[in-house]
Amino acid sequence: MSNKADGSNSWSPTEERDVSLKRIMPPAPENELDYKPLDGGWGWMVVVGAHISIGFAYSTPKVLSVFFIDIQEQLGASYSEVAWISSIMLAVMYAGGPVSSLLVNRFGSRPTVILGGLLCGVSMVTASFGNSIVYLYFFIGVIGGCGLSLNLNASLTIISKYFLNKRPIANGLAMAGSPVFLCVLAPANQYLLHMFGWRGSLVILGGLMLNCCVAGALMRPVVLPRKPEKVEERPNLCTKPQQSCRNNAKKFLDLTFFKDRGFVIYLIGNVFFIFGAYAPIVFLSAYAIRQGVEEYSAAYLLSIMGFVDMFVRPGTGLIASSKWIRPRIQYFFGFAMVFNGMCHLLCPLVKCYAYLVAYAIFLGVSFGMVFALIFECLMDLMGNERFPSAVGLVTIIECFPILLGPPTAGYLVDIYKDYKYLFFMCGGVVVTGGLFLLVMNIYYYHMLEKEKPAAVREQNQTKTIENQDLVSASASRKYQSPERSMAGEC
Amino acid sequence: MAASWKRLLFHILLLLVSCRHINTKTPGPTPPPLVPISSLPTDERSVSLKGESHTENVELLNPVNLALQCTWTGNQNKLPNITGFWRKDGDEVENSRVTVQLEGDEYELKRVFSIVSEESLGSYSCVFGSEAKIEFVLAAPQIGEVRDKPIVSYVGDSVVIACKMEETKPKPGSWNWYKANGTDKEQIFVVAEPLRYEIKNEERKTKLVVHNLTEADGGLYYCGAVYAISTTMGHVELKVISFQEPLKPFIAIVIEVIVLVAAILLYEKSQSKKNYTEGNGATDQMNTMTQGENNGPEGSSSTRQRKI
Repeated sequence: MSNKADGSNSWSPTEERDVSLKRIMPPAPENELDYKPLDGGWGWMVVVGAHISIGFAYSTPKVLSVFFIDIQEQLGASYSEVAWISSIMLAVMYAGGPVSSLLVNRFGSRPTVILGGLLCGVSMVTASFGNSIVYLYFFIGVIGGCGLSLNLNASLTIISKYFLNKRPIANGLAMAGSPVFLCVLAPANQYLLHMFGWRGSLVILGGLMLNCCVAGALMRPVVLPRKPEKVEERPNLCTKPQQSCRNNAKKFLDLTFFKDRGFVIYLIGNVFFIFGAYAPIVFLSAYAIRQGVEEYSAAYLLSIMGFVDMFVRPGTGLIASSKWIRPRIQYFFGFAMVFNGMCHLLCPLVKCYAYLVAYAIFLGVSFGMVFALIFECLMDLMGNERFPSAVGLVTIIECFPILLGPPTAGYLVDIYKDYKYLFFMCGGVVVTGGLFLLVMNIYYYHMLEKEKPAAVREQNQTKTIENQDLVSASASRKYQSPERSMAGEC
Repeated sequence: MAASWKRLLFHILLLLVSCRHINTKTPGPTPPPLVPISSLPTDERSVSLKGESHTENVELLNPVNLALQCTWTGNQNKLPNITGFWRKDGDEVENSRVTVQLEGDEYELKRVFSIVSEESLGSYSCVFGSEAKIEFVLAAPQIGEVRDKPIVSYVGDSVVIACKMEETKPKPGSWNWYKANGTDKEQIFVVAEPLRYEIKNEERKTKLVVHNLTEADGGLYYCGAVYAISTTMGHVELKVISFQEPLKPFIAIVIEVIVLVAAILLYEKSQSKKNYTEGNGATDQMNTMTQGENNGPEGSSSTRQRKI
């Protein structure tokens, strides 16, 4: 069936489908790339770059809280006013998704990440001169958040361009950047604070964030072998530049994604997860202290969780790329989500410190599993072409649950004066999301199999012809397939 | 007129000093109080000891006649008489040595101390024989949340140094600020330098704002919570550094970033030049091949792989 004459043993969508059980999901049509992704070589350097970039993106809003007490004292603000800095940064990082998608689609990952790194560095250095809290909101929150959002989207996109077979491992390794950088930056920030005060620390943190530019430099654009120009550069080969601009504007917020059932299912499941996932982590030490645990031991719980998370993410990537799990990756994702929710539901039963440590470990495992798969599943659903725009849309919608989740949970604690309702709510919401994903995916793929057996057969035939064309096209320079992908780039 | 007031005060002092010898209950080593003893309120603290020693913290706000009572259940011997005495700050209180009788299976020591000023505060211990000891630590409310790490600020910048008295402790009458000068403390008066210092007091919090910092402003600052009986101190260290300090690591990191980016891009350029020359050779090869030849697919896929 496959026309790959190089004899590689790779998982090919075409092959698996015929051998499968009914439950294996057909990949998105755009997954059939017109080139064979590297799956190694320079790709691993790209993973390092993505690791750094994603690491800064997820951990910076959290580690900034180390400076809050000092900033609060010096600028005369209340704790909640200062905490808004992190929330604004996180919100802008997620809301900037569509803008980031636009830039990635137009210019490619490398310039976007370099720009993101520069923005972050400049924002932190400028913020160090601040004398009012609003100044910090703008420079750290808004500008810094913009820089981070550029980093996030572009890093994920470049992974999807370099990997197909080993993509879950690559995703797992790249997403592991978040706990690694959290564990490294938190004590580093404490040290900087004591040496240089909060102003000097912001300057040096800005310098460290310039390393995202190094990460961007590593993200070498993919060279498609048949074309004389690189795809990621400005589309000089576009014959209709005006139409390309109009298409770009349409792609800014491409609402046609909502017609894709798989996308909508993924989105709903994700919104549920994000709403319930963060609050237990935010309130874990407070809950432990309420159960009578010492302050330092309570803080260790979060460190344990982060440490476990660091190893679970690449591990999950490894498992997910195995022959048995990879075709069923959406179900694995749903299962991971249910596992996470169950952990939260069982937490109120846990009273003593040893069991709390076990809870932290399980939380780290389940959290890592979900986050290793969260973008891999979207890539699997959307394919390379649509992934940048899809991830932009997903992040801007996720902005709302991420901002509403922890305060709602905190409100529950304030009303009932008991943490167990927080865990019940969060666990319930996450389990609902996971079950929704599992059930709806089963239904969705079942319907797909039923609805389009003829279309699939037809697709297989066209694919056979196309593959033959590819081989002859390289010799005779026909541009059929490139034009199809070029239409997407314009 | 002022001279006659001074003489009157001196006479009262003399009277009180002579009264000291009549009233055996006043503590010996303390200087004669200016306030008449009988007008002080009275308070009592008692501790019952079962083991060998115990320490009791007593928080005092105002001058008071404090009666301290120690009860000891005794050891195995249960001697009918033992010697008991009082100590203040490690020194034995004059005329405090008494013989304690065993009453109802307990020994009891009781004494009234006049706590009027900072010197009266400290550690008072009742000692039974050579074994049992109960220590009363008399102090004004202490400032609990003491910042142990220094505040770091920059030359020319302003800094806010804050002190807070916990909610659970009584609030002080007012706050004072002092700067350490060698081993001494110099009080900071805003009136003297209104442009440089600002003191903002709330009931339980106080903030000292220092503007236009210089390197000389670094050091220890003390905030004093003023109570009727004494002033308790908390301290915060201020470090003033110049802006060049963080600039040095920052520039080092920027240089590192530039070097790495340049290295990566140069490496890529050299790789692509190599590939380009190889690629050209391969495409020439492919052009000479005829369509549909068996070697076709292998050739193209191997070229594709090499281009990486």
